[in-house]
Amino acid sequence: MKVQFWGVRGSIPAPGPETNRYGGNTSCVSVRSASGELIIIDMGTGLMHLGNALLGTEFGKGGGKATILLSHAHWDHIQGLGFFAPVFIPGNHFVLRGHGKSSSMLEGILEGQMNPNFSPLYTLKNLGASFDVRAVVPGEPFDAGALRVTARPNPHGSTTALAFRIEEQGRAFVYASDAGYPDAGPTAEVLGLYRGAHVMVHDSTYTPAHQATRRNRGFSSYEQAADAAIAAGVGRLVTFHYDQDYSDEDVDALRDACRAYLDAHGGAKIELVAAAEGMELEI
Amino acid sequence: MKVKFWGVRGSIPVPGKSTNRYGGNTSCVEIRPRGGWPIVIDAGTGIRRLGKYLMDGKFGEGHGTAHILISHTHWDHIQGMPFFSPLYRRGNKMHVFARQQADTHLQAVFASQTEDPYFPVPLTALEADVQFHELVEGARFMIDKTAVQCTRLNHPWVAMAYRLDCDGASVVYCSDTAPFTDILLEHEFIAKPPLPGELIPASMADKLAAMRAGLVAMCQGVDLLIYDTQFTVDEYRQRPHWGHSTPDDALIIAREAGVKHLCLYHHAPMRTDEAQDAILMATRWTAKQAGDPFDVIAAYEGLELTLGDDA
Repeated sequence: MKVQFWGVRGSIPAPGPETNRYGGNTSCVSVRSASGELIIIDMGTGLMHLGNALLGTEFGKGGGKATILLSHAHWDHIQGLGFFAPVFIPGNHFVLRGHGKSSSMLEGILEGQMNPNFSPLYTLKNLGASFDVRAVVPGEPFDAGALRVTARPNPHGSTTALAFRIEEQGRAFVYASDAGYPDAGPTAEVLGLYRGAHVMVHDSTYTPAHQATRRNRGFSSYEQAADAAIAAGVGRLVTFHYDQDYSDEDVDALRDACRAYLDAHGGAKIELVAAAEGMELEI
Repeated sequence: MKVKFWGVRGSIPVPGKSTNRYGGNTSCVEIRPRGGWPIVIDAGTGIRRLGKYLMDGKFGEGHGTAHILISHTHWDHIQGMPFFSPLYRRGNKMHVFARQQADTHLQAVFASQTEDPYFPVPLTALEADVQFHELVEGARFMIDKTAVQCTRLNHPWVAMAYRLDCDGASVVYCSDTAPFTDILLEHEFIAKPPLPGELIPASMADKLAAMRAGLVAMCQGVDLLIYDTQFTVDEYRQRPHWGHSTPDDALIIAREAGVKHLCLYHHAPMRTDEAQDAILMATRWTAKQAGDPFDVIAAYEGLELTLGDDA
């Protein structure tokens, strides 16, 4: 499968020359299976640019189908939906899977985003594409074409955010953004979800010093990302969801410090990549 | 009076190399009367940086007062609010103004912006003292020594334009609005735009004419008119129901009201810096051909203008 990054920033888009290299768009990652199925993870502002790129494919003609995995409904993970060009083209179909006590509650959350006070779209029903919104059951695998997906929640401040494992022909990709672990780290179930992933994209919002003063926000430092990667024996760790105030140089430093931390804590064999907008990874 | 642009983009923030010069943050303008507190118009993502700047002064000590005028509550005009640092410092005083809605209190709209599951910090957890003020169309009031007026615009769910007068200078902020000719935008969702040149009912035409007259009257002789010019002519023809204008529409209003400077604003998200340069040059050429006495500028992040007694 092929993974591509469309938005790697946390909390709020961060435009400006100081974020040109890593990018300032909020969370959005696409996963394309060998047989061509598309999974989109999170709908931050990066989704607009994925959508524009998709207009040259079957999505431009109303024949597109994709699964959207939503980790949680904080603004930086949903604010791209109204700007995702394929949703305005009748015939396109999206299966949206996310967190929620029920499917109707999840749909209600997405409807709330389109409320006319906030959006000229008024309601999801005004979008041309069709949506099948379903709440996922943690730990229960489901198929998106040839891709098998499993989701489990992590604590995220006062709420929870889903981490996803996507498997294809024995290869595993994990997406774990907005993870605010307790001191004990991830649960055994979540570590099981991460176990042996060939590539794991992990929340690395902060340096440890910043994380220590902002613990209640429910984000990881690069050290917690590295600890999770080491504990789960992943092949490659990808730092992700950078704080909106971090410049490209700050992210460079975060990556280098993460490398040093991995090397000093038994993770020398783990490859490390800092996610950047436009980056592609073949798994 | 100083006018500083912190966010000039419409619809959605657009980070990236292609927007480095004009900036990718959504709508936010700071008006600073001489020796006075800031008056902020709109709270797009640009307000985040304004907040950081303000925290270096009295707002960092919890002794600041800011007035925030909201044109309307579409996301690109409020999405920076939860990231406005002075709201999280006890002692600061904030006054938020926007148009009164028939069935919702302004405070409830802002509360739902940050409620679970959309944002982790609810409105009730803010440290600053935040007061909400609902405005009726045509309201006139004072913020310290600044006189404020407002009039409604042609935009889905209705937006307000504001005029501020102080220090012998005047500025009008007119965003977002469609021109006042082809379609009336209020609270109904319009799925399909009318065809170009299609006749509209007389009642709608009358309402649009009144709205336009109200705006032209409010803009009369102002030093600076900041105007929503998101669309090119072609883009407007395709999407007249989206509620945005072209530079040509802005020129007509500026000409009729006899403004001194026209500022193009609320740039389309996909507009590159080069494309925006071209729009500015074309608009200046059109104004010159028409013999317009006013200057045309295009807003960019960080642009600061000094007007009136300070100039």
